[in-house]
Amino acid sequence: MSFRFPSNEWIVELSRLLNESPSYESSAKDWEGDFVFVVEPDDGFAETAYLYLGLRHGKSTGGALLAAPDERPTEYRISAPFGVWRKVIEGELDPIQGMMMRKLKLDGNLMKIMRYPKAAKEIVSCCADVPTMWPGN
Amino acid sequence: MANLHGYAGRILYVDLGAETAHEEPIDGELAEAFLGGSGLAAALIARTRLSEIDPLGPENPLVLMTGPLVGTEMPSAGRLSLCALSPLTGIWGESNTGGFLGPELRFSGYDGIVVTGRASEPVWLSIVDGNVELRDAESLMGLDTYETQEAIRQELGDDKTRVGCIGRAGEHLVRYAAVMNDHGRAAGRTGMGTVMGAKHLKAIAVRGRETVPIADLQGFARITAAVREHSREEIATQAIRMAGTAGYVDMATMYGDLPFRHFRTGEWDGADRLSGVRMTEEYLLRGRACHRCPIACGRETRAPVYGLDRVDGPEYETLGALGSLLAIDDLEAVIAAGHLCNRHGLDTISTGVTIALACELAERGILNRATADGLTLRFGDAVLLHGLIEKIAVREGIGDLLADGSAALADHFGVPELAATVKRLEMPMHDPRAFGGMAVTYALSPRGACHMQGDMYSVDTGQVALEELGIAPGDRFDASEGKGRIAARQMAWRSLYNAMILCQFQNPPAERIAEALGAATGWDLAPADLMTIGHRILTLKRTINAHRGVDASSDALPPTFLSPLEAGGTLGNVPDVDRLLAGAYGELGWNPRTGQPENPTLARLGLGRAAEPE
Repeated sequence: MSFRFPSNEWIVELSRLLNESPSYESSAKDWEGDFVFVVEPDDGFAETAYLYLGLRHGKSTGGALLAAPDERPTEYRISAPFGVWRKVIEGELDPIQGMMMRKLKLDGNLMKIMRYPKAAKEIVSCCADVPTMWPGN
Repeated sequence: MANLHGYAGRILYVDLGAETAHEEPIDGELAEAFLGGSGLAAALIARTRLSEIDPLGPENPLVLMTGPLVGTEMPSAGRLSLCALSPLTGIWGESNTGGFLGPELRFSGYDGIVVTGRASEPVWLSIVDGNVELRDAESLMGLDTYETQEAIRQELGDDKTRVGCIGRAGEHLVRYAAVMNDHGRAAGRTGMGTVMGAKHLKAIAVRGRETVPIADLQGFARITAAVREHSREEIATQAIRMAGTAGYVDMATMYGDLPFRHFRTGEWDGADRLSGVRMTEEYLLRGRACHRCPIACGRETRAPVYGLDRVDGPEYETLGALGSLLAIDDLEAVIAAGHLCNRHGLDTISTGVTIALACELAERGILNRATADGLTLRFGDAVLLHGLIEKIAVREGIGDLLADGSAALADHFGVPELAATVKRLEMPMHDPRAFGGMAVTYALSPRGACHMQGDMYSVDTGQVALEELGIAPGDRFDASEGKGRIAARQMAWRSLYNAMILCQFQNPPAERIAEALGAATGWDLAPADLMTIGHRILTLKRTINAHRGVDASSDALPPTFLSPLEAGGTLGNVPDVDRLLAGAYGELGWNPRTGQPENPTLARLGLGRAAEPE
């Protein structure tokens, strides 16, 4: 079964995979802070989507497609055009490289997130494990 | 030289043996070709009889050089290069330091100083408002670098005087002695402090009130404002501002870039306790900036357990060299060790790597307790580390052996293959197994294993991206000829940086740098011209090293880095050095068999004359 990106089903599946990942659990065992991933429109996707991911103490507290970015309070927001997200999910763009190059825009406490680069890597690794169906395919 | 914008226009020549000083106008053509910093210094040093120079001899010229952006409104250009043949490596030596010493030299009316000869008794050099004087340094001998700086400021009665000085390590000719300034700022690598010690030159103090002539003041102001704005928006500089270079520890651990236990293991639980974020939260007092720098990477920290209320550093390299490399995870102990090195004027990288080798030699049963003054050399022992630093600084007991560096230590025990050095310079805290491009930088850097001559870890983490110049971030494990070419281009780019001199944490688009240099000097420069200048400087340093016996066989990594690690962020990766170097030699126009620049390359870069000693 494949999950369309971006969608509620896709982010829920990511949340589920994170909860099955011992590497994510160990790398984020002290982490507290929820995210909203903003998928901005580009040639490959015409709308704006907001994907919420709850994260606490090495587990995901849940995922959801939001109607608006402030529907749930989150500590971090990462925004990028759809095509950039696709590259990250498919492993073509290292998310840290992407943020440094301003392809992904981070809003939130930078110092806190600098402590957890391995957790970020594990999240991306789980993203790659979500069987993904892309718009237009 | 009133028409030479961007320059004070004069170089001061001091002969310590003859106790004379004179000044010469800066050669405009040479300045345009090599800019300043280690580029212009190389052009001056290349004119000497390179093959006959003893790095510890009076004939070794020590060149202190600023660049056209130093002391201007350009953000993060408050630097000074110190260059000479290195007593540690025997080849080209250079190191640059931040703070305010470089700008102050320009305010005193000089772009640089060339020091030759050896004083019959210890002296220090005073340059105040154009008055040059050699002063008796007998009373300063034995003082540490902080005490020396303060004593000189008191003697001159001016607390704005900037002082570059050596500590006990330089006095005792430890081969990796640093020159320290502005409290804990260091020109650490390749033993420029040793050269000062060999010349019986304890310190150089500078004070001036002149300004640097700028060709287009309005244009320059507009460009530097744009650079500041760019810097504010960069996530990399934001991170450095918050946590210093130490903020890279967590990321470096993930990548496998931060080395553990003398580069032998890929995982170590203690890295978490050396985190720069933790240091910021628990030990940071404030960040400190160099001249006109909005980043302020410098740290002021405390280590109460050691009675230290306010010390400088540590930065990332020190946390690695005196921490993770020695399996010491006590952050306060590492802060204290870094401070000890600063006081004595020791390069923290060479100090840490050499002690780590000694610990490995002891573990292997090669170095016994009797040789080690009855000490048990072992990883993870902070008390031992502090004691060894003290011994190295004054060459006491085992410290005498360690004071000659890792390569000499390994040679002494007949195990040269165990030294983590390239061209006898100790490896910094960036593992080439984590970023393949670093293999090129280490193999071809003019000063040996050096991360400041082509920081491919910055490129492949996206911190530096100059796609218009063919320097594009990519896969960090890529070991293709193409990656070798990118690494070579980054080396040329950083050679330019070390000449301007601009801090490598300040990375505006290349176009902006060309505009800034153009506005400062009045020259019409495009980014491609800048790459040519960098390439020229890199190639000139290579020809200097050729006179010192460097060839393609010297361009090799130590065996340690060609063995995969079984765990950690390098994922068993080993760089394909031959393939990477094939690309790099091709890019630079250097012969892959001999390692020397090809004649058409020398001609294209205009190095026919400059590369030949007079």
